[in-house]
Amino acid sequence: MKILIIEDEKELAHNISAYLSDENYLCEFAETFQQALEKIEVYNYDCILLDLMLPGGDGLKILEELKKQDKQDGVIIISAKDSLKDKIAGLQIGADDYLAKPFHLSELAARIYSVIRRKQFGNSNIIKLHELQIDLLAKTILVHNEPVILTKKEFDLLLLFIGNKNRVISKSALAEHLSGDIADMLDNHDFVYAHIKNMKKKLVDAGYQNYLKTIYGTGYKWEA
Amino acid sequence: MGSMNKLLNRPLKAFTLYALLVLACSIPVYYFIVDYIWRNELDEYNEIVRNRIESGLNKLSLDKEEWAQTIALWNKTQPGTKIEKSLFQESRSDSIYTIIRQKQSANDEDLERFRGLSSYIKVQGELYHLTIEINVEEAHETVFAIAAVTVLFFIILLAGFVILNRRIATQIWKPFHSTLDRLKSFDLNSQNNINLEKSDIQEFEQLNQALYQLIAKNISVFRQQKEFTENASHELQTPLAVLKSKIDLLMQNESLTESQSELIASLNIPLSRVSRINKNLLLLAKIENQQFSEGELVNMSELVNQNLDFLEEHLRARNNTVEMEICEHCYITANRSLVEIMLVNLLLNAIRHNYENGAIRIELTDKSLTISNTGTEPLISETLFKRFITSSTSTPSSGLGLAIVQEIAHRYDWKVDYHFINNFHQFSVLF
Repeated sequence: MKILIIEDEKELAHNISAYLSDENYLCEFAETFQQALEKIEVYNYDCILLDLMLPGGDGLKILEELKKQDKQDGVIIISAKDSLKDKIAGLQIGADDYLAKPFHLSELAARIYSVIRRKQFGNSNIIKLHELQIDLLAKTILVHNEPVILTKKEFDLLLLFIGNKNRVISKSALAEHLSGDIADMLDNHDFVYAHIKNMKKKLVDAGYQNYLKTIYGTGYKWEA
Repeated sequence: MGSMNKLLNRPLKAFTLYALLVLACSIPVYYFIVDYIWRNELDEYNEIVRNRIESGLNKLSLDKEEWAQTIALWNKTQPGTKIEKSLFQESRSDSIYTIIRQKQSANDEDLERFRGLSSYIKVQGELYHLTIEINVEEAHETVFAIAAVTVLFFIILLAGFVILNRRIATQIWKPFHSTLDRLKSFDLNSQNNINLEKSDIQEFEQLNQALYQLIAKNISVFRQQKEFTENASHELQTPLAVLKSKIDLLMQNESLTESQSELIASLNIPLSRVSRINKNLLLLAKIENQQFSEGELVNMSELVNQNLDFLEEHLRARNNTVEMEICEHCYITANRSLVEIMLVNLLLNAIRHNYENGAIRIELTDKSLTISNTGTEPLISETLFKRFITSSTSTPSSGLGLAIVQEIAHRYDWKVDYHFINNFHQFSVLF
C-alpha cells in the first residue's frame, strides 16, 4: 500500500510514517505544494494525507488537481484549521475524510484503513479475520458465521482495533474515538473501559479467541 | 445621577448669584445717586425761588406799614417760605440744611424730610432773613422703591436666564447628545467604524475627531489582538500534533516497563487539556471574528435529545438522574454548530460539576433553555463567565466553557443567567 504524506512539518510526517510502516504501508513525503503536485502527477497512491496549509499554495488546489486528472487516490485532509468551511469544501471537492490536528495516530491509521478498504472493495466491503467477519457497509459481524450484536460504540471500537492491529492504543485515543470532540472535556476516561469489556465479552462468548490484550492498564492492543 | 448637575446649570447658578450680588449692591448706590441729584436740584430750585422773591419784592414800592402787612401776609400764604427781619446788620452767607419734622398743613403725625435754604436778602435797604423749605422724599421710601424695582428686574433676569439656558441646552448640546448616543450604542466587537454627526461648534468637532482617532486605534488593536489569538492557536496545533504522535509512537515500544507505560499514558491527560484550551481559544476567536455563517432554523427539541443520548453514559457513570421538560418542535434561528457547542458546554458543565447520585434538570421552552444540576454552594457569579477564572475548586476544566456559552449568547443577543436555588446550580439562556 502506498501512502503520500503531504505535510510541511517534517517531524509529524515522519511520526505518521513510523507508525504506519509496520503494517504493509509504504510512505512517501511531500513538503511543499510544488513537490506534492509533481508526485501526484507521476504516481498513484492508495491514500494521500493532505495538509491544507502548505508552503507554496493551498492544499485544496491539490485536491482539485487530483480530481481534474481523474485520479482515484483516497484523500484524507489533515488540517490545523478545523474549520467547518474547509471541511465542507474539502469533502465537496472529493476528499474522503477530514481529520483536525492534533490527532492520535491510531485514529489516523483507522481512517486510512477504512478509506483504502472503501476504495478497494467498494460495495462488498467485508473484512475477514480468523473466525471474525465484519461487513463494513451493513455494520454487522459474524463469529463462526453466527451473528453477534454489538452496539454502535462497540462496533466503532472494533473498527479502531482492526485498523490498528498489533499496536498499542491509549485510553485517551479510545475516548476521543468514541466521544469525538468532547472527550477531552471529560477528564474521566473510565467509560471506555465499560465498552471494551462488553465488546470483548460478546466476542468471546460467541467463540472468538481473545486477541485483545490489556497493556498495563494504560492501553489496549489487538494481536492478530 | 440624582446628585449630578447638568453642565449648563453650574454657570446658571453662578450667573444668578452674581446678578443677585450686583443688583443688591446697586440698591444703596442708586439711592445715594438719586438722593444726591434730588438734593442738588432742590437746592438749585430753592436758590431760584430766593432770587425770584428778592427781585419780586424789590420791584414793589410800598411804604413801611404796607410792607409789614405784605410780609405778614406772605408768611401766611406761602407755607414753604418765611421772611423775617434779620437780627444782624451785616449780610451773611447762605446755608443749606435738611430737617425732619412734622408737616405744617397736614394733621397726620408723619415726620417729613425737608430741604431748606437759609438766606439773607436786602429789600429796600433792609436786611431780611429768608428761609425756603421744600419737601424731600424720605430716605426709606426711596430705598424701598429702588429695592422693589431691583427685585423686579432680578426676577426678569432670572426668568430670562432659565429660558435661555433651556434653549441653549437643547440646541447647542444637540451634536453632543448625538455623539453620546452613538458612543453608547458602539460595539467594539462589531468591527464597524462609528459615524458621528458633524458639528459647526469647534469644541464638539474636536471631540469628534479625538473620538474617531481613539476608536480607530481601539478597533485596530482589538483586531490585532483577536488575530493574534487565532494565529497563535493555529500555530500551536502543529506542535501539539507532533507531541501527540510522539506519545502514540512511544507507546508502541515493547520494552516499556509498567511504570514507564503509565508515565507515558499520563502525558495524554495534560496534552488533551492543552488541546482543548487551544481549540476553545480558537473557537472564541472565530466567534468574535464572526466566522460562523449566520443562521438557520434549528430544532432545539431534537438537538437537546440527541446530545443527551450522546452524554447518557457519562450521566450513568456518575449515577445522575435526569429530569426533562422539553417542549416539542421548538425552533430557534442561529448557527447550528454554535447552538450545539453552547448546549454541550452547558450539559457537560452540569455533569462535571455534579456529585455522584446527583440530579440534572433540563427545561426547554420556546423562550428559554434551563439546565440545572445539584450542587453544594453557590458559585461566584461575577467571575463565572470570565475566561480562565474557575469558580469551583472541585474539578479542573479548561476555564473557557462558560465563556464560550456567554460569547455565543452575546452574538445572538440572548441572555445567560445563573442562579443557585434550592441546592441547584441553574443556568438559563433566554432566547
